[in-house]
Amino acid sequence: MIAGALFYYQFCSQKNRLLTQMRRLRRPRYLAGAMVGALYFYAYIFRGFSQGRRGTGAAMAAWQSHGLAESMAALVLLILMLMAWVLPHSRAALAFSEAEVAFLFPAPIGRRTLINFKLLKSQVAILFSSLLMALIGRGWGAGNFSIRGLGWWVLLSAFNLHLLASSFALTLWMGRGLSNWMRRAIFLGAAGTAAAGILLWARAALPPIVVPPDAKDLAWLAQYAGQVLQSGPLPWLLLPFRWLVAPYFAATFAQFFIALGPALLFIGLLYWWVIRSDVAFEEASVELSQKLAQRLATARSGDPYGMRKPAKAARPPFTLRPLGNPEMAVFWKNLISAGSFVTGRMWLMLLWIIIIVGGVLQSQVSRGGALGPALLYLAVMLVAMSLFSGPQLLRNDLRQDLPVTDVLKMYPMRGWQIVLGEVLAPAAVLAGAQWLLLVMAAIFFPTHLGPHAVSLFLRLSCALAAAVVLPFIDLIAILIPNAAVLFFPAWFQLGKQGPRGFETTGQQLILMFGQLLTLALSLLPPAAVFTVVFFCASRLLGASAGVASAGIAAALLLAVEAGLAIKLLGGVFERFDSSGEVLSS
Amino acid sequence: MDNAPPLIVEAPAAPPQIEVAGLTKLYGDFAAVSDLCFSVRAGEVIGLVGPNGAGKTTTLRCLAGIIPATRGTVRIGGFDLAQNPIEAKRRLAFFSDEPRLFDYLTVAQHLTFTARIYGVANYQEIQRPLLEELEMDDKRDKLPSELSRGMKQKLAIACGLLHSPEVIFFDEPLTGLDPVGIRRMKDSILRRARAGAAILISSHLLHLLEEVCSHVLILKNGRKVIDGTLEEMRQKFSEQAGGANLEEVFFRATGEDKRTP
Repeated sequence: MIAGALFYYQFCSQKNRLLTQMRRLRRPRYLAGAMVGALYFYAYIFRGFSQGRRGTGAAMAAWQSHGLAESMAALVLLILMLMAWVLPHSRAALAFSEAEVAFLFPAPIGRRTLINFKLLKSQVAILFSSLLMALIGRGWGAGNFSIRGLGWWVLLSAFNLHLLASSFALTLWMGRGLSNWMRRAIFLGAAGTAAAGILLWARAALPPIVVPPDAKDLAWLAQYAGQVLQSGPLPWLLLPFRWLVAPYFAATFAQFFIALGPALLFIGLLYWWVIRSDVAFEEASVELSQKLAQRLATARSGDPYGMRKPAKAARPPFTLRPLGNPEMAVFWKNLISAGSFVTGRMWLMLLWIIIIVGGVLQSQVSRGGALGPALLYLAVMLVAMSLFSGPQLLRNDLRQDLPVTDVLKMYPMRGWQIVLGEVLAPAAVLAGAQWLLLVMAAIFFPTHLGPHAVSLFLRLSCALAAAVVLPFIDLIAILIPNAAVLFFPAWFQLGKQGPRGFETTGQQLILMFGQLLTLALSLLPPAAVFTVVFFCASRLLGASAGVASAGIAAALLLAVEAGLAIKLLGGVFERFDSSGEVLSS
Repeated sequence: MDNAPPLIVEAPAAPPQIEVAGLTKLYGDFAAVSDLCFSVRAGEVIGLVGPNGAGKTTTLRCLAGIIPATRGTVRIGGFDLAQNPIEAKRRLAFFSDEPRLFDYLTVAQHLTFTARIYGVANYQEIQRPLLEELEMDDKRDKLPSELSRGMKQKLAIACGLLHSPEVIFFDEPLTGLDPVGIRRMKDSILRRARAGAAILISSHLLHLLEEVCSHVLILKNGRKVIDGTLEEMRQKFSEQAGGANLEEVFFRATGEDKRTP
């Protein structure tokens, strides 16, 4: 009866989740996301699958002919399972959702039933992962898709059961007074002793490693590894793990079913161990469910990188006076959320470090060597990369504040003021980091480019032009994902039920390409202006003044673009109706 | 507790602080609120009641400028919320049932931030007694994650009252408060009303509304069923079926009494 209720719960949850996703596809933007996602999966997985195995399969076949792949996989599995005994530091906890804790824990359901429910529930994820891994790793195993999928299912099921069994055992030992460090010392000591014993045996029993002078690949290493893995004590140590990986490496169904017997026996033993363990996991599970809910809420609030609440208060970057432009308050708030390192004092300290260390290094560089160009290249590359990765990493803007849109909308501020205040903080942090890199680039800029001397004035002009232009490019780059938040709020998981599956992948791809395209298009007019002004001004005033003038002209146009975008997004923010999004999604 | 009558309309001819005319909020074909009209004068406390899904929270969110109304006008302190949102919002405060705070700002930083948003020049003079009144003076440097739910609610209230709003909206104001907190909240509502604020409270706690409200508006399926002073309501429904408290009024007005077992 209880099992039926639990099955009903699982069935209805999965069915309703699917229906919600399907219903959302009636809206064109979500349908577009799903279609792009499906195309992506088709192009990268299914299409390759239908075309059969690729070149990697041949390489794997060579490994498999010696049984080396199987032994290596068994060794990896041994190491992963060993980690389950070494790494944990808390009591056993089964991951239940908060609703499951609320409904199931007070219900007349036995501990074993809860464990069985949890194991069955994990099978959904295991089956999906097995399917995905069978598709992705089509060149790894010798068998067809079905054999590989079933092989993965055996492996993942065993791993999941072992993880649970080990956590129960560790909880029992903790209850008996065995500290984490003592336990780690015991397991790592045992593993180290075993590894040392195998090394000693290999040195005594096997010929020494000789790298052939004409070695073109790592075949010699594979041969030696094969000797170590397939003779002496290691095969015995790896035997149970080979049982588990053997079904995956089966080439035919006959081989698969022969290999399946020992693997199922091992899985059965693990299941018996789990179900016989009398460990109180409820309290730790309640704590874990709360933590998971918190993490989920943070991630769904558009902060996949933060994933946790701030542990301590951050120092304000500057004193906020009660009178003045209200958008500065939003800027101030977001700078605080960016972290305690975003203070004027910290930036000044970094600047001095770069100037002093750069100056010392530059004096070395002037005597020759590749360090100067390498550091210049590094600085320029980091600036370029920051234009693309910066807006993704720095999310102290509308993406972070989406869950508190209600509060923002109550403020007596125009939409453009809110948007400006929101995007200023990440743009300022990004520009600050880029300015430091520009100082570094200016220090290490060569005094000669080929036969042409590069004057200090020209170097400073280039740095100045970049310093003026970059903040506005940052502003536009950060405005783009913020625009996406307002136009596609459900893609940023505003509701409790965020999009998943093909939709998510498709949305991410659309957003990424949309962002790149929009940024490129918005940079075209300023780039044209820069070129024209530089061409004219350098003829009249010289190269140095030409670069600086062109930079300022391009920055002005970028500022106009950013201003227009902020005005437009402000209007969208004023009309933004989060309740409509939640209801319709 | 302060049991003085809540209804103190200082000047009957004074213009309403909250004027709602033809307010409608549609979600596709579904009307969450339909053609709602009412007004609240300075010093009045109006209770918004209705069954679940009646449109109370949607109404409040429209009135606070959080979501745009599909049709109709809302005037706050004489300013049209759609045409002049800045001036209208300067005069209002909205307290939701769940306090919405910024995870990374301390108590003091919340107040500093709010002061700048509303341009409260003398906020430091106001915030000290306000924090003392709310018993939060020793929590100035705490983050919301370090506060209990009641404390978070107090912080939200402190932020909302910092600019001395003339219009206050409460959505289930007693949720999560302890008995002391409940009494203080009631006192605070009455004190603000006597100071001239127009207050609208949405709550299912009819005894609370009976204690603090001068007027009641009953909603059902997004439409106004009836509104008026508590006395008018009692009289109207007493005539039909004997003495009526607000609970009886609510059941009779919404027709829910026929459905109760």
